[in-house]
Formats: sequence, structure tokens, C-alpha cells
Amino acid sequence: MEKYECTACGYIYDPETGDPAGGIAPGTAFADLPDDWVCPQCGVGKEYFQKLS
Amino acid sequence: MRVIVLGNGLCGTIFAKTLRDINSEIEIDIFGQEQYLYYPRPNLIEFLAGHMPYDRLFAFSEAWYSDHNIRLHLAKKVEKIDPAAKTVEFKNRGVKEYDKLLLAHGAYAGVPPIKNVSISGVFTLRTLEDALNIQVYLKDRKKVAVIGGGLLGLEIARALNAGGAEVAVIEFFPRLLPRQLDARAATLLKQQIENMGIQGLLGKTTEEILGEGEATGLRFKDGGEIAAEMIVVAAGVRPYLDLAQAAGLETDRGVIVNAHLQTSHPDIYAAGDVSEHKGRVYGIIPASFQQAKNAAYNISGQLQEYEGTVPSNTLKVMGVHVTSLGLVNPEEEGYEEIFKLDEAQGCFKKVVLQNGALVGAIWMGTKEGINEINRLVAQNAKIGDHKTDILEDGFDFSQLKK
Repeated sequence: MEKYECTACGYIYDPETGDPAGGIAPGTAFADLPDDWVCPQCGVGKEYFQKLS
Repeated sequence: MRVIVLGNGLCGTIFAKTLRDINSEIEIDIFGQEQYLYYPRPNLIEFLAGHMPYDRLFAFSEAWYSDHNIRLHLAKKVEKIDPAAKTVEFKNRGVKEYDKLLLAHGAYAGVPPIKNVSISGVFTLRTLEDALNIQVYLKDRKKVAVIGGGLLGLEIARALNAGGAEVAVIEFFPRLLPRQLDARAATLLKQQIENMGIQGLLGKTTEEILGEGEATGLRFKDGGEIAAEMIVVAAGVRPYLDLAQAAGLETDRGVIVNAHLQTSHPDIYAAGDVSEHKGRVYGIIPASFQQAKNAAYNISGQLQEYEGTVPSNTLKVMGVHVTSLGLVNPEEEGYEEIFKLDEAQGCFKKVVLQNGALVGAIWMGTKEGINEINRLVAQNAKIGDHKTDILEDGFDFSQLKK
């Protein structure tokens, strides 16, 4: 599964680890994150994430 | 130890969060001038575009602050810092002592000298309050002029266009994104924003806001005029220097800090948009973020040096990927520029060479090869034999690996 990077602060969302503190189970693809999920590091919305190439 | 943080934007918040992670004992008090909980400013763009509801603007709830034992004081304006007494004084009385103070109160939107600019209907976008004011004012108005064709100006134009407004972007330089693009790439971007219904007016200096009581348009230096019911000025930000200067701290364009983010007074640190490090005032989130973290470590006693931030080279502007690396607009002799323009695909690539070495590049409308070209520009790689085919789609970068 693909990793996504926060363009605001550089946080990398890795589906393998998920975001347990934000209630996201390991194995959750970026596309399956809820719409109201925000960057755990700086708080911007999903719109600011870019697929890591 | 008692630590006071001025500013509850990204820098102040990330600082407090980092400091709390390092140390559970230090007392942390954040004082914010705005009345709102911390929100990342990029969210304001999505909010104005109608893509993000109000509730989602905020990164951390009030409960998060109490869980982390961070005291947050909102709508608190600091009047004075007294470095000798180690106190901050507030507008409506009140004095608070600190052991270490972090200045993270940021910057404000700059407004160029334009006649009649204080008239109603002229806005900047820096705070949530600005966004709410814009939203209210735009409710029964449609025609908007955005002064400034840099990143923020274009993002504002995109947001308001998405919200249904008729938007024109006015840029002083003869091209959009003057820092990131060259003339050809900017022309391509202009075509793309015009396809979205946003007008681009380039090489225009706004001399006067037209209207009495309420803005009705703009007049340019060349005599031309356009109608606009609302005007948003996006002409860059300037650090808040008053408090630091009054406290006798060394300032230039920002509050000057050393590698430990310390100002000229050893118990006062500065980070984020307010700071100036090695002559640079960054004003970008990644720098704010790094400085906030470094300052937290330094204040906790674990010394860390801030080494500067390399601004991100890849942007997404109006849905278009733009990678701008190194020198993109050589103005002197001795450089070779090779480009490939594919208007139909909205794709532009260019390399800039000096004596066969790669010193700059623009990749627009595509992400293919951006990591490789980024690395090659950073290395000033010699690409002499491949200077033309490197621009082709599907170019095999492994040929250039050493």
C-alpha cells in the first residue's frame, strides 16, 4: 500500500502502521481514512497529502 | 521550570507538544492573540473553497490541552516583555513570570502602499477571522480581485473560484509564481487557470482601490481599470517585531536567532514566522515545524542545532504539480536552458546548465522523474550528453547514476 506525505509538515502516513492515536488501525489505506482525519503532526486535512513517489 | 509561549499557531503548538513529550514536569503556558484554538492556516483555503467544514479546521480539542497539561490562554494580547524581570505583561493588567520564553507569535499579512486601501471590501487572508470576514462579505457579491500571483494569491483564487466567485489575479511581475517559474511555464499555468475561469492580469501595479465607502474596483498604474466588489491582498507576510524591539532584542527583518533558536537574550527564544536565522525569514510551515522542535529540545536542556530548512521544491498549485529546483531564471550570461513544452498535456520541463552541470530545473504538470531530477540538481550533476533526452517522458535516469 502506498505512503502519503503531508505537504505542510512532512509527516508520512504509512498504511502499515496506521495512526493508532487517531483511531486508525494498522493496515488502513490512505483512501480509506475518514474524511475528517487530519495530519497527526500538524493538523491539516487530507487534501494536503500527496502520494509519495 | 516555567515556559511561556507567545502565539498559538503551528509553531507555538508544535513547540508545546514537543516539549511536553520530552518533559512532563515543565509548566507550559501558551498565550494566543486570536480567540480560536490552533488551526493550521492551509485549512483556511479549503474552508473558503467549501471543502472543509468549520469544525474540522482545528487540529486539537480543548481536552487535548488539558490531557497534555498545557495551559492555553486565548484572546490574550501581550503588551510588553521585560527581559530583566523575566515577565510578560498583558493588555488588561496581569503580569506573568517565566524562566524561558518562546516568541512564536508569527507574522501578519503585508499590504503594499495602494491608495484607498483601507476602504471596506479589501481583505487579507491570514487568520480564521479574516476567512470568516471574507465569507460573510462574499455572500451577496461575486466579482473578486486577488492582488498577488504568488502561491497564496493563487490558492485564494482557487478557493474563491471553487466557491462560485468570479476571480481575477493581479500580479506585479509579468508572470505568475515569479519565484518558481520562468516565462513559458508561467504562460502555461496562466492558460490552465484561465481554463478554470480565473483571469490572470500580469505586469500590473495596482495604484488605487476604486469606490467610496465600499470597493468597486481597481485602477492600475498604466491607467487600466477593472471592476471588483471584493479585493484580497496576498502580498506576503511580515514578522511581528514590535514586542521584540521594545524589549531590546536584536531584530532585522525578523527576530534574530542563533543555531539554538535563542534571541540576543539567552532566556528568550524565537521560532517560526517571526524568526530570522542566518539572514533568512522563512515563513513556511516546514521551517516553523523544525524550529519549533529544535527550540523545545534546547529549552529542555537537550541541545540541538537548527541547520536551516531547504524549502520544498514540489508544490501543487491549482491542482497542477510544480517542481522548481535551483536556478530557474538565470539572468546572466553563461547558462544554457533547454526545455520541452507540451501544451496539450499541460506539461513543461526545463533544465538549466552551467558548463554542462545541472544547476536548475522546472518540472510542471508531471511528477514523473521529480525525485531523480531533484537529486541531480542537488549534486550539480554533469548531464552533458543527456541534456535533451532527459526531458523526454520515460527517460531512464539510471543511465546517469554514478
